[in-house]
Amino acid sequence: MDINLNQEELSFQADVKEFLSENAHQPGTDYNEWRLNWFKVAASKGGWDVPKWPEAFGGPGWSPTQHYIWEQETSRAQTPWDLPFGLSMLAPVLMNYGSKEQQDRFLPDIRNRVVNWCQGYSEPNAGSDLANLKTKATLSEDGTHYLVNGTKVWTTLAHIADWMFCLTRTNETGKKQEGITFLLIPMKQDGIEVKPIITLGGSHSVNMVHITDVKVPVENRIGEENKGWGYAKGLLAHERTGLAGISRSIVALESLKKQAGSVKRGNGNLMDEPTFKLKVAELEADLMAVEYTELRSLANAASGNEPGPESSILKLKGTEIQQRLQRLTMEAGGIYSSAWGMSNVGPSFARSGMSGYLSSRAFTIYGGASEVQKDVVAKNVLGLKK
Amino acid sequence: MNFELSETQSILKDSVERFIAESYSLDKRQSLVKSELGFSQDNWKKMAELGWLSITVPESAGGFGGNQIDSMIMMEEFGKGLVLEPFFISTVVAGQILCELGNEEQKQDWLTGLITGDCQLTFAYAEEQARFDLEDVLTRAKPDEKGGFIIDGTKSMVLYAASADAMIVSCRTSGGQYEKKGITLFLVPKDLKGVHIDSFETVDGQRAAEVRFENVRVDGNALLGEEGVAFSTIKRAQQIGILALCAEATGIMECLYKDTASYTQDREQFDRPMSEFQVIQHRLVDMFMEYEQCKSMLLRATLEFVHNPDGSSRSIHALKYLVGKTAKFIGENAIQLHGGMGMTEELNIAHYFKRLLTIDILFGNSDYHLEKFAA
Ligand SMILES: Cc1cc2nc3c(=O)[nH]c(=O)nc-3n(C[C@H](O)[C@H](O)[C@H](O)COP(=O)(O)OP(=O)(O)OC[C@H]3O[C@@H](n4cnc5c(N)ncnc54)[C@H](O)[C@@H]3O)c2cc1C
Ligand SMILES: Cc1cc2nc3c(=O)[nH]c(=O)nc-3n(C[C@H](O)[C@H](O)[C@H](O)COP(=O)(O)OP(=O)(O)OC[C@H]3O[C@@H](n4cnc5c(N)ncnc54)[C@H](O)[C@@H]3O)c2cc1C
Repeated sequence: MDINLNQEELSFQADVKEFLSENAHQPGTDYNEWRLNWFKVAASKGGWDVPKWPEAFGGPGWSPTQHYIWEQETSRAQTPWDLPFGLSMLAPVLMNYGSKEQQDRFLPDIRNRVVNWCQGYSEPNAGSDLANLKTKATLSEDGTHYLVNGTKVWTTLAHIADWMFCLTRTNETGKKQEGITFLLIPMKQDGIEVKPIITLGGSHSVNMVHITDVKVPVENRIGEENKGWGYAKGLLAHERTGLAGISRSIVALESLKKQAGSVKRGNGNLMDEPTFKLKVAELEADLMAVEYTELRSLANAASGNEPGPESSILKLKGTEIQQRLQRLTMEAGGIYSSAWGMSNVGPSFARSGMSGYLSSRAFTIYGGASEVQKDVVAKNVLGLKK
Repeated sequence: MNFELSETQSILKDSVERFIAESYSLDKRQSLVKSELGFSQDNWKKMAELGWLSITVPESAGGFGGNQIDSMIMMEEFGKGLVLEPFFISTVVAGQILCELGNEEQKQDWLTGLITGDCQLTFAYAEEQARFDLEDVLTRAKPDEKGGFIIDGTKSMVLYAASADAMIVSCRTSGGQYEKKGITLFLVPKDLKGVHIDSFETVDGQRAAEVRFENVRVDGNALLGEEGVAFSTIKRAQQIGILALCAEATGIMECLYKDTASYTQDREQFDRPMSEFQVIQHRLVDMFMEYEQCKSMLLRATLEFVHNPDGSSRSIHALKYLVGKTAKFIGENAIQLHGGMGMTEELNIAHYFKRLLTIDILFGNSDYHLEKFAA
């Protein structure tokens, strides 16, 4: 057992730090231009633009420790935002189950961040019970295309997406899981209607998507008909491990402490207040532990083992911690946390306090609600049967 | 011992319930939220006609002479409807201060209007550096040579300031920043020169403002009560305010746990109603139990205050602490058990939760009152 980085890892860390500081966004310059260029420069380092992709598809082939270093350093630096849908959700499916043609057709645009994807899984009556989905895909008689009809809901960023990866029903008899087909559907066409859903924080990120008589060529089907569930399940595992956000939480905790320290109270500040200080301390202790849970999980993966029990609690603990951070940020904001949309009332961090907190409630709902996640742990880790 | 409502109290409860049922569907409420004013003048008039605006005003001043039990009954029902009209800040809080400190002339000028609904008041007490401490007052009032005062300073989160005709403002007339002595209340008409109101919509759809007083000159008759000794009145207004807010919150939490229980019975996943999962049943039982705890604490604090106002402060701290903590527990779980639907603005629960969060930050949040309680 040893937690020190070896010489090689230390020099990798220095390399990453240097790269991030050399390529930081300069205030006043065009963000989007910088963003796209950033990925190009990162690509020239040998796959740093797609750290999680396997080497065979252009990834850097890092060790788990290197991934950990990358996570830590990029959380601190302001690396450009990246959407998970194409890059970390669809790409692994294409790599594992897509045809060579499909890989050549879709992966480069995903890698270059020029095409946006959305995830069309959930439906009004298929949430936690995803296998209950009803969006119907019927193969044409000549076998050239599917005719798709149905409604997807909670589809994040469907309104800016160019494509949707979509689960559809192709067989209504037998086990629900065995009649699902994985299709790729262009969004900008007649028959696709995207309706915004405004969420609690007041923002528009999710949508209802009505699909009416949309023709999808069979070339857009991943793998075999009726086998989509298996492909999607593998992908959900990727989604979950990505949602823990531990390194980001460590950085967020630091800024919470600074913010609370700037809130005056009497002769001191909020961090002198016992009730508040102790809540921050509790959170920090939990975060220190979960950081090591993540390291154990990485080490496990490094030695080529299947993900251990520790990996299944990362999403649960990680999202709970993110929510507590948001809650404390709201509480630190005091009366100003209710003043949204105002530009000059109270400290600036405080004004988005409640909306940030409200939005964070979704973390324990999407990607598998916590209760369902615990069912999975009970069954797969503890071996409990229903 | 008796926790039953009296006949008059039952009638009051019924009439508020009826008003909510008729005038406060979510659609109607949300269109009021979006309006310029943020509430309905018609509703306000109706509330006056029904006599609700005079219920807590002493009989000697032309009111009904009710107490905090009556306002509790109303506020609980207002909570269920998510009422927007400024009953809480104008009638309950400012009305209380005016009844306590106003001289005959001031009462004549303002109290009559408060009862008829023709005027509205608000209370400007919060300041940024003070966090929740009422005695931490930097806004200054200095006497001028003509018997008036000059007010300078900034007040935060002044509820419904833009629609109020005047505000009661806490000012320092002597003493240091944190001293309870030396605080004075003034009744400041809103249209005086130097009053700058920066109004905004709060998370719960209500209205508040940052109010700057820049060399505002008020007459001598703006002074409420005597100079330098207003703190005990402010403290009492806070206590009465907390009782009212916690009654509103309790009404809201009742709806939240009930709405959630019924949603989980209607919503089917895995070929059965969600409510059949034991995890969900137990969570709902916890929500219900915590709600009942709040209801008990509300009754305890309210009854203690009515019988012995000076001896009830620990119960009131405990109440505000418990309500703030429980509000988050019940609200978070209501959203969780609704899944994606809980994250939308389509159902009542979203709006209930937002109001609960805002109630927590008014007159001191949960942590603040826990500390006071432990002190
Ligand atoms: C902000 C946001 C973004 C989203 N983005 C996407 C997206 O891009 N693409 C997509 O396809 N979907 C997306 N979703 C949908 C998300 O995956 C679903 O909301 C989630 O699967 C839960 O389904 P549901 O909302 O129907 O809740 P339901 O299945 O109705 O469940 C409601 C609640 O019941 C409880 N529960 C459920 N099952 C059980 C059980 N077996 N035992 C005990 N308790 C249980 C949980 O508390 C759950 O939260 C998003 C959701 C949100 C909120
Ligand atoms: C100090 C003591 C004094 C006692 N005195 C007496 C006495 O004088 N006379 C007498 O007759 N008995 C007595 N009892 C027995 C007591 O009533 C039983 O222990 C009790 O009913 C639980 O039964 P059990 O111990 O068989 O636990 P089990 O029934 O095996 O339950 C074990 C645990 O499982 C959980 N559990 C059980 N059912 C459910 C469920 N449906 N859903 C979810 N979780 C569940 C609970 O956490 C429970 O504690 C006493 C017990 C103790 C500890």
